[in-house]
Amino acid sequence: MEIRQLSVFKRRFAQWSLVCGLSAAVLLSGTAQAADLSLKGKKIGVAVVGTQHFWDREAFNGALDMVKELGGEPVPVDGGRDNQVHADNHDILLSNKVDAVISILGDGAVEPKFEALKGAGIPVFTVDHLSPHGVNNTTSDNYYMGTTIGRYMADAIGGKGKVAVFNAFEGALRICGIRTGLWKYVMQDYPGIEIIQPELAEEFANAPEDARKKTLDLLNQYPEGTLDAIHVGCWDQPAIGIVQALEEAGRTDVKVTALDGGPDTLEIMAEEGSPFVANVAQQPRLIGQTAAMNAARHFAGESLLPQTFVDVRPVNGPEEAKAVYEELGYGTL
Amino acid sequence: MNVASELTKEPALSFARVMSSAPLIIFVVLLIYLAIAAPNLLEPSTISLILKQSVPTVIVCLGLATVVVAGGDDVVSGGIDLSIPATAVLCAGVIADQLTNHGSSLFFALALAIAAALAMGIVNALLVVFIGMTPLLATLASSVAAVGITKVITSSRRINIDHPFIIYIRDGDIGGVPSAVLVAAVFVLIFCIAVHRTRWGMQLQAVGGSREAAEVSGIKASRLVAQSFMLAAIAGALASVFVLARGSGSTPGSEENLLLEMVLATFLGAAFSPRRIVTVWGAVLGAVLVSVLSVGFKSIGVDVFWTGCIKGSLILIVVASAAYTGKAQS
Repeated sequence: MEIRQLSVFKRRFAQWSLVCGLSAAVLLSGTAQAADLSLKGKKIGVAVVGTQHFWDREAFNGALDMVKELGGEPVPVDGGRDNQVHADNHDILLSNKVDAVISILGDGAVEPKFEALKGAGIPVFTVDHLSPHGVNNTTSDNYYMGTTIGRYMADAIGGKGKVAVFNAFEGALRICGIRTGLWKYVMQDYPGIEIIQPELAEEFANAPEDARKKTLDLLNQYPEGTLDAIHVGCWDQPAIGIVQALEEAGRTDVKVTALDGGPDTLEIMAEEGSPFVANVAQQPRLIGQTAAMNAARHFAGESLLPQTFVDVRPVNGPEEAKAVYEELGYGTL
Repeated sequence: MNVASELTKEPALSFARVMSSAPLIIFVVLLIYLAIAAPNLLEPSTISLILKQSVPTVIVCLGLATVVVAGGDDVVSGGIDLSIPATAVLCAGVIADQLTNHGSSLFFALALAIAAALAMGIVNALLVVFIGMTPLLATLASSVAAVGITKVITSSRRINIDHPFIIYIRDGDIGGVPSAVLVAAVFVLIFCIAVHRTRWGMQLQAVGGSREAAEVSGIKASRLVAQSFMLAAIAGALASVFVLARGSGSTPGSEENLLLEMVLATFLGAAFSPRRIVTVWGAVLGAVLVSVLSVGFKSIGVDVFWTGCIKGSLILIVVASAAYTGKAQS
């Protein structure tokens, strides 16, 4: 009996050793592969639509730092939260004869610029902008984000009620089309939820203040008891102004949901009695870094998939906001 | 007493001379610095890019220069039209909405845009000429209204455009020169001739120089000022085509940057005129130089906020210089 137990133990030990050994080998080979990546001697243009918002800034800095870490020379250009300036900046990168471009966000105005870069033999790596002219797009799992926030919002209002949506970019940016489109897809299963028409459109450059004013108008139009939630379809900067307006008007019974989950909005969510109840947090820094690594992979001769998805963290309620805030390294709330 | 006043007048005039040349000196220094720091700035492809990017600003500057010529150089009480960029964005919104959302013909979309621009011109002319509002305030108010109307038309959303005409203005070229630059050059020529080489233009300049003197000599000043606002609005409509081409569609908020560059370029242009007055060709040169600065600063990696700060400071210097020169001359 003892001998039999010993042989079973030996066999299991051997199996575990094999598993551990293989895992270590895979990990080590992965590390070696990452360490092998290089952008040495490469001039990499990094274009971002703006750096005022946490998300944009983090993705931008993540890309810049990783380009430097991999030995490349970054050429940064910032659109100042103006899509037109952002698009024009790609012309400047083209005339600067960079070796590759990492382009973060941007609307349809950048497409002809990507085409021109591609025509000049300069590969384009996009972030949150799926383009036929790009080699690869690094983004969050927008499909998961859209459906998850839909479920969370429906749950927050008990599956029925009137909902206003800020939706300026569904038709202009594919990522917003996915996020808002799938949110609406989930809403189809809640016949008790009515989306107020016409939908609201937030400004791109001054979103919090613009959303605050529009929410105050909305609250006048829909008195207490006639509005249950306000959702922001693609990001969460407008939600800052929405919460402000709800607090000003004493209407914190109206639930707010949005997407992005930077430290500024997670802090608002973590406040006691906050109307901002659900979000899906992204990892913008990791997204920017991944885009730069993808550029290096491309130069190393690797074939890239059209999209690289970076994990997101769903945030439902204040406790999860605090936990995600800590997990993503923003500190402690 | 006379001797004393002459003595005090001399240094003031020489200081005014320095002040009037200040924008030019600063720009020359900046350009030399950029040419050294960003060697690719002088390459043909970069020069072509600079010219192409400057086109919307050049066109709105044609309008502003015309209004300033008619209304006088005084930046507060003289001629100014801050609504031209908003008119351009309004017309761009109208064209994009008609072409993309309603499937209208290009001719109808352009006609509607020109009608919208003329309406803006009429409002400005009425506010300034008949009601007597300061052009600065009148056009600021109409600009806000135009931005509001644009938001209503476009629902504050971007509208993509893929009409072949707009794409041709964006990507086309004739003999290697971008089509947008060539078309803009034709408009520049027309405005230059109209304002500086025709009898109508001479009368416009006479009104801007001294309205009272012009009226005494039989020139209908009010009519000419009203016409200058109408022309400015048309410049806005023309600029809209280039705004659309540059952005491959209409984007809300495009007017802000255009306004900043238009004011800077037009008043900077005065520094190139021997008499330090706003001219059409000076404004065009100013617009191209502002584009050189934008491209140059980005090429050497200057932060966009510093670029905004530098441009803002330059506007201040240029406008202060114009105001001080005007004061010293009077």
